[in-house]
Amino acid sequence: MLKPKQMSRLLIAGSRDQMAPVIAELYRHNLFHIEEYVDSGAEDYEGFKIGSPLSGASEKSADLIKIRAITSAISLSADDVDKKPSCSMDELQTKIERELPLLEREVEELTVRRSKLDTREKELDQKIGELTPFADIPADLNLYHGYKRFTAIAGYLSREVILNVPHEMHVSKREGKNFIVMVYPTERKSEVEKTLQEAGFQSVPIPNESGSAKGRIEFYEDEISSLKKDILEISTQLENVKKKHASFLVACEELLRAEVDQTEAPLRFATTKQTFVAEGWVPTDQVTAVMNSLIHVADGKIFVTVVPTDLEHDSVPVEYNNPDFAKPTEVLMDVYSRPGYTEIDPTLMISIVFPLFFGLILGDVGYGLILLVMAYALRRYLKSESGRQLLDVLRNASISTIFFGIIFSEFLGFAIPGWNPVLYSRHLMSEHGGHGPNIPELMVLSIWIGIIHLTLGRVLGMYNHAKQDHGHHRTLAVMANFGWLAVMWGILIAIWSTAAVPLMPNLTGIPVLAIIPPVGFGLNVGHIIGLVLLLVGIVFIARESVLEVIELPTIVSHVLSYARIVAVGLSSVAIAMVVNFMSITMFIEPQLENLTIPGIFIILVGIAVFVIGHALNTALGILGGGLHSIRLHYVEFFTKFYKGGGKKYVPFGMKRRFTEE
Amino acid sequence: MAAEVVVAAASDLASVQASQLGMKALGAGIAVGLTGIGTGVAEMGIGSAAVGAVAENKDMFGLALLFTVIPETIVIFGLVVALLLLFV
Repeated sequence: MLKPKQMSRLLIAGSRDQMAPVIAELYRHNLFHIEEYVDSGAEDYEGFKIGSPLSGASEKSADLIKIRAITSAISLSADDVDKKPSCSMDELQTKIERELPLLEREVEELTVRRSKLDTREKELDQKIGELTPFADIPADLNLYHGYKRFTAIAGYLSREVILNVPHEMHVSKREGKNFIVMVYPTERKSEVEKTLQEAGFQSVPIPNESGSAKGRIEFYEDEISSLKKDILEISTQLENVKKKHASFLVACEELLRAEVDQTEAPLRFATTKQTFVAEGWVPTDQVTAVMNSLIHVADGKIFVTVVPTDLEHDSVPVEYNNPDFAKPTEVLMDVYSRPGYTEIDPTLMISIVFPLFFGLILGDVGYGLILLVMAYALRRYLKSESGRQLLDVLRNASISTIFFGIIFSEFLGFAIPGWNPVLYSRHLMSEHGGHGPNIPELMVLSIWIGIIHLTLGRVLGMYNHAKQDHGHHRTLAVMANFGWLAVMWGILIAIWSTAAVPLMPNLTGIPVLAIIPPVGFGLNVGHIIGLVLLLVGIVFIARESVLEVIELPTIVSHVLSYARIVAVGLSSVAIAMVVNFMSITMFIEPQLENLTIPGIFIILVGIAVFVIGHALNTALGILGGGLHSIRLHYVEFFTKFYKGGGKKYVPFGMKRRFTEE
Repeated sequence: MAAEVVVAAASDLASVQASQLGMKALGAGIAVGLTGIGTGVAEMGIGSAAVGAVAENKDMFGLALLFTVIPETIVIFGLVVALLLLFV
């Protein structure tokens, strides 16, 4: 919790004949993050080379490629399949050898045939496109070809022309232009071309066909429809293959992927002719289990040891270590950056604070219920791990939205009947049952949230620097973080001493300093404390880096930035109320008083406005609530302490879904 | 005579109050409108760069979306000022 999982560096050395069982065992554990060996002539690794794949690697890779070709041809993904294949693993192996080539041939034949038909269909479409302008020409297209002394041309003219050359021309109207087909003596070509060019002539090639254009178009359309039928048939055949073999194919893919991963693992090890050395990371609490089972499978003929971790130089892979309810929020962390191995992992804090912010912003029972239904309904379509995590985050956020909806007494922008807002109201129109919005109180509340959140961020920053840095720099960095805190609280105390702010301590009553009148300037003790804190803070910040002083205004802007919690929330309340006002007060209610047939139509319009308006506001609510609350974390909170950039922990192995060991 | 003055003063007061209310509404509108333009101008460059980055690498989507909404703070300040003008 609040720290990534502790890792230990494991070194495995043994003779080469132990490599296969060791790899299989490591793969089974799915815990060993391989530190890839790079042939760079490191001191301890003289004479070592990158290993070569185990036997059978190339055949298995070839099989895997076949399977992937099939699955992509029938557009099958592992998420489409829910159940395991009914056969055992040995049967699956023999099935791969026996059935896979047949299946591959079948699918390949079908896809090749389909792509041929597709190409033919495109060709015909193009031909029809070329023929269409000639559809109104009654003459046989054959008549426009094969003359020596005459030239036939076709094209569009933007205006009419008068030719002084003997010719035969057919004109038809097309897309507001004149389409002409004409024949003229070749010897007068230059004359004709000049006249046509002046009339804005755009040439169109005459298709090399015989018969009337209309007839040809109909003929090709018939061919296309029969092609379409064939394509549909092939697609249903492929669909049948998909239905019949889906679970077999995904299981094969998984089995082969596991085998290929294992046979290619030596490419990441250091080897000599007789021995191999593998280094990698294992969660510390699993080290003994992994070590014991490795020694067991190799009959004690390997050497396994834990190498001390050097935090300065090793890049330790990072695996989250969170309680179950905070796990979905890891997806929000990965979007920003995975925490470094030595720093605080804020996932747990986000998993609590993010839904709170979301709920405070949206705060509406109706929208909360809509989002809750969405979070469960979308589960059917988003089956990937990160998709699931995102939906879980949405679920938590929507529960918080319902909670704050009850507190604010809001249901789709209406006040909940017979229930007054607890604490503060966000109802913009007081005649609708509420008592007007408590804007100042809500604003100050959001500012308080900001102050607490940022103070927490700075305290975490002090902790991180104390843990990660060394020597003089460490003291300076911790002091600078304290300095930022001192400036913020100094400004706050000075403000409290100057004016009374609702919901904040009032220090204006503190006696004015009158002991040394020229120094007092009407300042009271609060002002002096505030100023001292401010100055001390600035000195601490400047001691670490003078340039940082330029950033001082961000203290104010970052705190005020939390006002968005109220501002964005109120804007969504306003939109909801406007939608309700338009649909119910303007459209529906006046019509209900005396019902007429046009009135029913207007009521339907009102219902449409209601549905579309609230759908839009729900979408805006997700965007507003989600983006703004996560932004408050990323921009305002994380910049105080969080560095990130940790390397993802990718254990060697896989989570088997369709196969067994 | 005196009664007329009182009536005139009362109607003056009413019109002054009405005009103050109108000015408040105008001020709120200007606050949101101008800050909205500012945000728009700032997001223009970020947004186009973000789309480019996402086209290169889909994993950038989350971060790109985030960068794009950073200038949103400007319009939020405008909104806060408008709310304070109208309701406080």
